[in-house]
Amino acid sequence: MVTEEEGRVRGGTGGDELPSELGGGRGTTAGPATRTAAKGRLASALTYGGLAVAGVVAAFPFVWMLLTSFMTRGETLRYVYLPATLEWRNYVRAWSEANFALYFSNSLMIAVVQVGGTLLFSLMAAYPLARMQFRGRETIFLIILATLMVPETATMVPNFLTVSWLHSHSAIPWLNNWPALTVPFMASAFSIFLLRQFMRGLPGELWEAARIDGAGHVRFLFQIALPLCRAPLLTVGMFTFIGSWNALGWPLLVTSRPTWRPISVALLRFVEEAGAETQLQMAGAVIATVPVLLLYALIQKEFTAGISVSGLKG
Amino acid sequence: MNTSLKDRVTAWAFMAPALVVLGVFGFFPIGYAFFVSLHRWRVKRGAFVGFEHYNRALGDPLYVALFVLGLAFFLGVRHWVTGQSLWLRVVRRGLEAATLIAAGAGLLGVVGSGDPRLFNAFKVTAFYAVCAIPAEVAISMVLAYLLFKALSAKGFFRVLFFLPYVTPMIATAVAFRIIFSPHPFSLANQIGGAFGLQTMGWLFESRSVVSLALQALDITQYPGWVDAAFPSMALISVVLYNIWVYIGYDTVILLAGFSAIPPHYYEAAAIDGATAAQAFRHITLPLISPALFFISLIAVIGTFRAFNHIYIMRTPGARDTVDVVSVAIFDQIILSHNLAYAAALSLILFVVILGLTFVQNRVLGRRVFYGD
Repeated sequence: MVTEEEGRVRGGTGGDELPSELGGGRGTTAGPATRTAAKGRLASALTYGGLAVAGVVAAFPFVWMLLTSFMTRGETLRYVYLPATLEWRNYVRAWSEANFALYFSNSLMIAVVQVGGTLLFSLMAAYPLARMQFRGRETIFLIILATLMVPETATMVPNFLTVSWLHSHSAIPWLNNWPALTVPFMASAFSIFLLRQFMRGLPGELWEAARIDGAGHVRFLFQIALPLCRAPLLTVGMFTFIGSWNALGWPLLVTSRPTWRPISVALLRFVEEAGAETQLQMAGAVIATVPVLLLYALIQKEFTAGISVSGLKG
Repeated sequence: MNTSLKDRVTAWAFMAPALVVLGVFGFFPIGYAFFVSLHRWRVKRGAFVGFEHYNRALGDPLYVALFVLGLAFFLGVRHWVTGQSLWLRVVRRGLEAATLIAAGAGLLGVVGSGDPRLFNAFKVTAFYAVCAIPAEVAISMVLAYLLFKALSAKGFFRVLFFLPYVTPMIATAVAFRIIFSPHPFSLANQIGGAFGLQTMGWLFESRSVVSLALQALDITQYPGWVDAAFPSMALISVVLYNIWVYIGYDTVILLAGFSAIPPHYYEAAAIDGATAAQAFRHITLPLISPALFFISLIAVIGTFRAFNHIYIMRTPGARDTVDVVSVAIFDQIILSHNLAYAAALSLILFVVILGLTFVQNRVLGRRVFYGD
């Protein structure tokens, strides 16, 4: 209730700052101009009020998570709102006692390998689909898109068997190791789709000019097209990173030992085991959140732009 | 089109790595899953058992056939019986009703004779979709519209709304597990209390929202099916989390849709004396419909794929009321080690998703306005 009230008040002040074309009609005499001005003011107050309420709802769980992670065990049991002192020790305990340092670096390595592989493979696949002429191009593209329909659960059992087979038939072990965790996800139809859509928009003269200069497709792709694809590559990279960081079911299946266990699985185990130690769970959750939010802060603009485009053309 | 051999080789070489990965881990699994599902298969391949696992999951094949054929004929009738005369229209309606009833009877038979756990999981998934998607779309529609109107703070709010979507679900689901705890002072109970709700078990509450409401009204005598016919409070808690996560994504997509509408359409409408409501109905809605269709499609497929947050947020007391199909399948793999049955279930899920996408395309897709 209080938050809503606050939201409306804040919304009201926000509305005054709005450069509204109707805001000029501040006459003292009652007339239609004043009424429209008042109506405009009310409308913008409602707009910003609504947005503020939604913003509070969106942000509040994060604030709660952060505050709880700094509480003592006693404070979490008493359900207080604010910690009396900041218990940095929670983070130390989660990081070292619960071995989050290992799981964190595992997840980071898994994500780096997976993002790198996905970006390279998707870029290479998207290039001919967008800019080269060859027979079967549209068919191949449709076949690639069809994989979007296949739910992850449907591929889990057979992929587990495939990976187990590869585990015993290749030079490096796959299970409990990075290949099982990364290779199956190194090409995604969504990434290829997004990059293809973007590359189709590159001007044809670029290629003409590059060819006159004696560049082949490989050089054109990596020296000219690649730097221009910055925004979609960042979008794809961010999506892949989030997907990799979030993966839970598959890592549970292919990691039986902690050596390559990602942070998602560790957090789940931690929640199941630590039980009542809420503040440690929240410290773990905050640790798991930091890299993704850092990345998001860095490439926020390109990412939201990339997402918007995916919706418009999807 | 002068494709030299060298160009063709280059093209295929470029696509090769992605195609190999997608082929081995995206397409081959469908066939392989079918192969696995026809055998007994725990750790290693056992005897060939044919369609035994499908039989266990779906029950009597006669009912399955009745359902599939009924549905196929229902969809086909309008193409086979064409013509606008009254008599033909009556025949068409009659046939449609008959085939639909046949399909419904088949479905009831399947549910009655198949694996009750599977159908419970499908029921939960359906509850989940029905509760989450309309709310998600409606709220994001409002927020996108407000963002569209709020010129100055658009960027700030967009980043804010997007945070729940980019934050790892494993972290936020763990937080919401504690927020929605049954303790009288848990955050959910405190906020609920401020709105006059009684202290509840939230994620730990397996009773349905309707029976909780009846209880709040001091009606203690209610039939047992009230719990089975409505989503549990635990599922509603998951739905609230789901809405919190996905609103930002939907809003950004819809905002892009709003922003793409040429402003002169509204100017022209204003000159013609259209009210704001009329402008919304006849300009905004048709032009936003592709984006709406896109997010609803993504949302439906999303609920059928939902796994991570439900796997984290399920609680011992309310498992059966929140376990969606993908979670139920995963339990078959990791708890029962029954790979063959899990493969059969996952293929059934795949077919259901394909069917739903098809129906959604037919029903909603027709209403989408793509013209420029």
